[in-house]
Amino acid sequence: MQNKEFDVIIIGGGITGVGTARDCAMRGLKTVLVERFDLTNGATGRNHGLLHSGARYAVNDAESAEECIRENRIIRRIASNCVEESDGLFITLPEDDLAYQAAFIEKCQAAGIDAKAIDPKEALRLEPSVNPAIIGAVRVPDASVDPFRLASANALDATMHGAKIITYKEVTELILEGGRVVGVRLQDTRTGEKSEIRASIVVNAAGIWGQKIAAMAGAQIRMLPAKGSLLIFGHRVNNMVINRCRKPANADILVPGDVVCVIGTTSDKVPFEECDNMRVTPQEVALLLEEGAKLAPALATTRILRAYAGVRPLVASDDDPTGRSTSRGIVLLDHETRDGVPGFISITGGKLTSYRLMAEMATDLVCKKLGSDAKCRTAVEPLAGSEPEKNHAHSDQLAFKAAEGRQGTLVSKMDFSQKSEVLCECEHVTRAEIAYAVKYLGVTNMMDLRRRTRVGMGTCQGGFCMRKVAVALAEELGKPELAEEFVKQYLAERWKGMAPVCWGDSMREAEYMQKMYKK
Amino acid sequence: MRYDVVIIGGGLAGITAGLQLQKSGKRTVVISAGLSLHETPRAEYVAAGGTILAGDTVTGGSIENGRLEYVKTHNLGNTLMYADNFILCTGKFFSKGLVSTMDRVFEPVFGCDVQYEHDRTQWVRPEFSDEQPFMSFGVITDADGRVSVGGSVVSNLYAAGEILAGKVEIVESALKVCRNLI
Repeated sequence: MQNKEFDVIIIGGGITGVGTARDCAMRGLKTVLVERFDLTNGATGRNHGLLHSGARYAVNDAESAEECIRENRIIRRIASNCVEESDGLFITLPEDDLAYQAAFIEKCQAAGIDAKAIDPKEALRLEPSVNPAIIGAVRVPDASVDPFRLASANALDATMHGAKIITYKEVTELILEGGRVVGVRLQDTRTGEKSEIRASIVVNAAGIWGQKIAAMAGAQIRMLPAKGSLLIFGHRVNNMVINRCRKPANADILVPGDVVCVIGTTSDKVPFEECDNMRVTPQEVALLLEEGAKLAPALATTRILRAYAGVRPLVASDDDPTGRSTSRGIVLLDHETRDGVPGFISITGGKLTSYRLMAEMATDLVCKKLGSDAKCRTAVEPLAGSEPEKNHAHSDQLAFKAAEGRQGTLVSKMDFSQKSEVLCECEHVTRAEIAYAVKYLGVTNMMDLRRRTRVGMGTCQGGFCMRKVAVALAEELGKPELAEEFVKQYLAERWKGMAPVCWGDSMREAEYMQKMYKK
Repeated sequence: MRYDVVIIGGGLAGITAGLQLQKSGKRTVVISAGLSLHETPRAEYVAAGGTILAGDTVTGGSIENGRLEYVKTHNLGNTLMYADNFILCTGKFFSKGLVSTMDRVFEPVFGCDVQYEHDRTQWVRPEFSDEQPFMSFGVITDADGRVSVGGSVVSNLYAAGEILAGKVEIVESALKVCRNLI
């Protein structure tokens, strides 16, 4: 008999994985999550940060639309600290067919989405950045969500419920015994060190990379990688989400978030091998700018901070292996019944907005297999940091408020009496928050820190502060010798984001960085 | 207002040229957009009788028959600044001596001819540590250090410092222009 330390292993540190880890842990399962890099390294960290109202799907995919609006309401409640209730507009431009609007509103209302046509003049008053040429506008309950913060809160909450979160370990093999999956073999992606973990159930929540994980068990999932490129602007041009009221197309959603805004996306099939290293092409940048300026003309003259791309984990439906028919819906696969491989399930497809439901469905299946009748509570219990009672000491200090905005009630775990100096001035990140991120959020390097605290995500993009931050982080980790390496790593990542958009003010920044940090 | 030499840009190149020319008896002015760097040569320049127009920028000038007659500045409005010679030392992109848009690179004050790669995908190399092509973009000068506009040399407008195309020694490029003017 194997001594199984865990009930369930979850593969993948995206929003689906951490959400599933939280749900499993809350239902009393001994849970471990393994991720090959850092949390949110895949599609979770490379999207719009849009909490869909479902309106975008209403016309073509009623099921997704209904799912979105239900989850939208739940996420606002349980993750209030990660959501900005910005609301959204679906605008009709002179070249669009206004007849689409009527059908759109009807389908939205059928799905339970509160979509209301408003006078274009009123839309301009609500959102002065919108293209003044609009001939129609519909107001919908879209919202902005910070996917880094949402994933981090789920991971921390899972940990507080007893789960173990392991980053920088890649699954190299599934352990099969008598045809049953009983664990995973791991390799540390930084040291190469090998290890293994065993559990009763393994959940594949690896997003687009889930195809490879499933193949390790001899199960086939046909993923259709669709690359989506986006641009972040150095200024929050709009306050409401702006969508185009037409059949979904390229670059037709502009989402505000914190002090920036994001236009996207493109959608192009890419070969599977490209998923690990995507670069945004000049053609994509041109298209995003051209279409984006139709939503909010100011985008044409706003500094672009960076370009990035993610891969949607689209799944070919089982009855159409050619891949022509894909769904944005949730795909839960029980490999025991589907492929004759017990102990192994996959949760994929879906979207950021429906992550909690995906986690619930996966955990329901895990519980069923383990004979547990524990009920899901993730729709009612707020995430760590989003508890309604703010029982911590308040401060008017700007940096404290910024930290509270990011970490919610967990700001009480930060030592502002000793470490209140502000290191990242764009986002008001103090040394106290960096120390907190090292201690509680599993931060091991600059990129991890960036995702957890928004260090270097503001208008200077780390240009002025990265050295200070690198030294502070290295000290908090107890490894001051790492500071130089951190700076290098940060520069490499920053350059990757700015190279595709390097003209105008971005080129000024590029010159500054070359002069300040080279050699 | 009339000077012997008007120097546009108060960075290391501009202040070096100003000091050198002032010491050799020329009446000069340095028009400097801002940052008070290079305090030592600045102080020396002022001590030598030079004038610094601080916090001001040149907005344009009049080029006739291949000669720059005068320049205008933002703060002085319609007061024209005449000179026998002019030196352009406004630096690269960061200091706005050069401006790039999505499809071109230009010199914004006079429209001087600029050397750059026309294919934008070639401006930047993918790794930070790579040698970056855009860092060598700059204005083209003749053997004497004079710029051209629309292919024609402007006989009394010189360029020095980082605004120049290619690899540049800032101080040496300023001194070289001065040798032609003294």
